[in-house]
Amino acid sequence: MNTMDLILFISAGALLWSRSIRLGIALLALEGALLSIMALTSEPLTWGSALMALATLAVKAGLIPAVLYRMMNSWPVEVRRDHPLPLWAYATALLVVIGTGHVMQLLGPAHLIQNRPAFFFSLSTIYLGMVMIVARRHLLSQITALVSIENGLVVLGISFSGSLPTFVELGILADLAIAVALLVWMGHRIHREFDTTDVVALQSLKG
Amino acid sequence: MSYYWSLIGPLAVILSAVILRQRLDSRWFKRIAIWVGLVFLALAGLVFHGLLAGHWQAVFLATTGFVALTSAWDSVYWLREHRHISPHRYYLWWGLFWAALLVISISQNLALSWLAMEFSTLASGALIIEMGDQHSLEAAWKYIVIASVGLVLGLIGIVFVYASLKFQGLAWHTLDYSNLRTQYKNVAPVVRQLATIFIVSGFGTKAGLVPFHTWLPDAHSEAPSPVSGLLSGILLGLSLFTVARFVSAVPVPSGAFLAGSQLLTIFGTVSLVVGSLALLVQHDIKRLLAYSSIEQVGIIAVALGVGTRAAFFAALLQFVFHAVIKSSLFYGAGHLSVSYGTKRLDGINGLISKSKAGSFGWALGMLALAGLPPLGLAYSEWLIIEQLWLQHSYVVVFLVTGALTLTFAALIHHMLGTLWFDNQPVLRARSSGHDTSVQGAI
Repeated sequence: MNTMDLILFISAGALLWSRSIRLGIALLALEGALLSIMALTSEPLTWGSALMALATLAVKAGLIPAVLYRMMNSWPVEVRRDHPLPLWAYATALLVVIGTGHVMQLLGPAHLIQNRPAFFFSLSTIYLGMVMIVARRHLLSQITALVSIENGLVVLGISFSGSLPTFVELGILADLAIAVALLVWMGHRIHREFDTTDVVALQSLKG
Repeated sequence: MSYYWSLIGPLAVILSAVILRQRLDSRWFKRIAIWVGLVFLALAGLVFHGLLAGHWQAVFLATTGFVALTSAWDSVYWLREHRHISPHRYYLWWGLFWAALLVISISQNLALSWLAMEFSTLASGALIIEMGDQHSLEAAWKYIVIASVGLVLGLIGIVFVYASLKFQGLAWHTLDYSNLRTQYKNVAPVVRQLATIFIVSGFGTKAGLVPFHTWLPDAHSEAPSPVSGLLSGILLGLSLFTVARFVSAVPVPSGAFLAGSQLLTIFGTVSLVVGSLALLVQHDIKRLLAYSSIEQVGIIAVALGVGTRAAFFAALLQFVFHAVIKSSLFYGAGHLSVSYGTKRLDGINGLISKSKAGSFGWALGMLALAGLPPLGLAYSEWLIIEQLWLQHSYVVVFLVTGALTLTFAALIHHMLGTLWFDNQPVLRARSSGHDTSVQGAI
């Protein structure tokens, strides 16, 4: 179990570090598959958890990576890599991981966390995703960061309580699928209108 | 009483959009507006007693229904002015947005409120994209990404609370506000405190509280005007009241640093001050209204931070008055920017010589928003300041009154500019490259 959490954390770190959009999409598919396995193994198998595992596999390991891959392939090769990560992002990433350790210490006396490694890795994954949204400039990097954050959130729920209510998990999954669909649609239009995939170009609205 | 039947209203709009597609023409726009009106009347009739008693759910439902009604009627005219917008896609997203707002109004469950809020982001984001230009794309991208990240923070807080109460075995009903209110002592104080920080910051992002507000001026100014009315008038307030409901249901121990009420007061005061200062330097009519929304959300947050029953009532009043006034002003701003061919305030002027009725309506709305007595906001703002005074929050009283004075001055300044000053000669001179000074224009 904790090996999978660790892989998720490493994957979030690699997502942040890597400039390759192709690798980012592959990591996202890996995260989706891991979450699906976790949904099947984190509690006694029920219809709810089986449904969740299947839906996660279909959406996070299949649909989202496929749509993102198709989007990337429709663009010229020169825009399939992100800009180098700024130095401050490395320092911030380190700080948020240390900060997660502090949150874990704060929550220690409450005996709330069932699985401490899973809590650490998942909250770190969420924070690394947030750093990625701020630091990465490619449209697709921001979408992958958003999905990675949501993946961390699901594992956070598992680390606390085994799982979130199925209704909530399905709602989050549906919401994520719609959000990605919208962002992909917008990504195409932004590339067409602005002739770039760099979010830094989106700075005309000020004041 | 469950009001979920009211979702028939948006469902019918969504179905019309899906089934009629290209046949959805101006006759159907009116039919949809009449339908929204009927739903509002049915809702208003059912919640009437609750309204008289000042029950929050009745107030939310009636206000949401009313602003949806005005938005639907404004859409009829707005869509005629914007023929490049696809009506069936517009009404599809508009219906989903209305549904999300109704669910937030009705919801008795924190997780359901969260989900509805997330869906409201997507539906309203899609409506912004429908505008189809570069600015709207930029605004929608920022809005969806920032609001989604903010709501993730809120969800972390929700997960903390859920994990603490999971032993009850109530599944998602664990997060019913009624359950939270009775069981909050089973949530460790440190967990309550952390959850409060996450939820105030997360939902505060959606409410447009400073410093999480960066998406708001862009999204509200680039959205279709009928949607800006719903976004600004309803969604911001509902997000804030969701925070307040959580804060009152799961209080942190007294004396704790950064309790929910303290966070609301701090973020509210900062929003009020930043919003009012930003009003002074605005050049775009819809951005002016968007920054005014930040200022208004700020004062509602301050009122909710006081925590007394009277302050909560004042916050509700402020929400209602703001919803009606701001949505009307957004509709007006949309039509003004179309008839003047610009959203720039220095291009929208001399209104009084062009339309007496239009200038009267615009002036009345701006004066009401500025808080001129005896118009509504003056009364609710006075109540809020009175409550702050009674709680001996003198520093906050000082900041709030200062910010409200600035707001008054800024809005009156902009109102006078749109009504009387005629900058057209200056603008014509600028565009032709001639003398741009005032003397040159004269």
